[in-house]
Amino acid sequence: MEPKFTVTFSEGVAKIELSGRLDATNAPLLQEELKKLIGQDVKRLVFFAKDLEYISSAGLRVIIFAKQKIGVDAQVYLVGAGENVLNVIKMSGLDNFMVITDSYSE
Amino acid sequence: MKKLVVPAKLENLDKASDFITRGGKSLGFDEKKLSQIKLAAEEVIVNIINYAYPKGEGEIEISYSQRDDGAFKIEIIDRGIPFDPLSLPDPDVGASLEERKIGGLGIYLVRRVMDEMNYKREDGKNVLTLVKNP
Repeated sequence: MEPKFTVTFSEGVAKIELSGRLDATNAPLLQEELKKLIGQDVKRLVFFAKDLEYISSAGLRVIIFAKQKIGVDAQVYLVGAGENVLNVIKMSGLDNFMVITDSYSE
Repeated sequence: MKKLVVPAKLENLDKASDFITRGGKSLGFDEKKLSQIKLAAEEVIVNIINYAYPKGEGEIEISYSQRDDGAFKIEIIDRGIPFDPLSLPDPDVGASLEERKIGGLGIYLVRRVMDEMNYKREDGKNVLTLVKNP
């Protein structure tokens, strides 16, 4: 399956661009990609979700994993998420621990 | 009643969840409810794929029907190890990201988005019933 995400890291900011879906079929791939950041000094984890249509608990676990294993002190951002994705984030209570915004600037 | 039987493998997740979602669509459920049905279907099916058959291969049997009251009733069956998802404690959704435990979140979401969820162990099968009201 085509990866539906890209991960970039520079100057303490990890940017994760998501699209399509983040579920049990591709969440492990994203987790593997994010593992490469372990040991870096990550100050921000920014998930761009404008083009993300669907997320399941497998996707939520990757966000939790990123925070716990990569950026314990990092601030987590969720940018541009649509209603479906936002509803799942809110049901899980993760919205209380991330900055949810429509747009992101450095 | 419509029915689908597939091997419990991740490659069949789309086929299985699409089967259920299309069923909801044919009964006229709106986009919001369909996305909730899709989420619940995935969570339950992934659990079966990951945990039901630790020693080998097995199948997932899915059927759905419309109840007299208009509700969408989905039955998901496996012949794997006994597992009652209703026995899982709810995760602490108030816990911060640092303190989060990894398990239980999927089934919790199922409970939140569906109107009924029932489990029985019968003839060596796990029988899970999900209901979405119209």
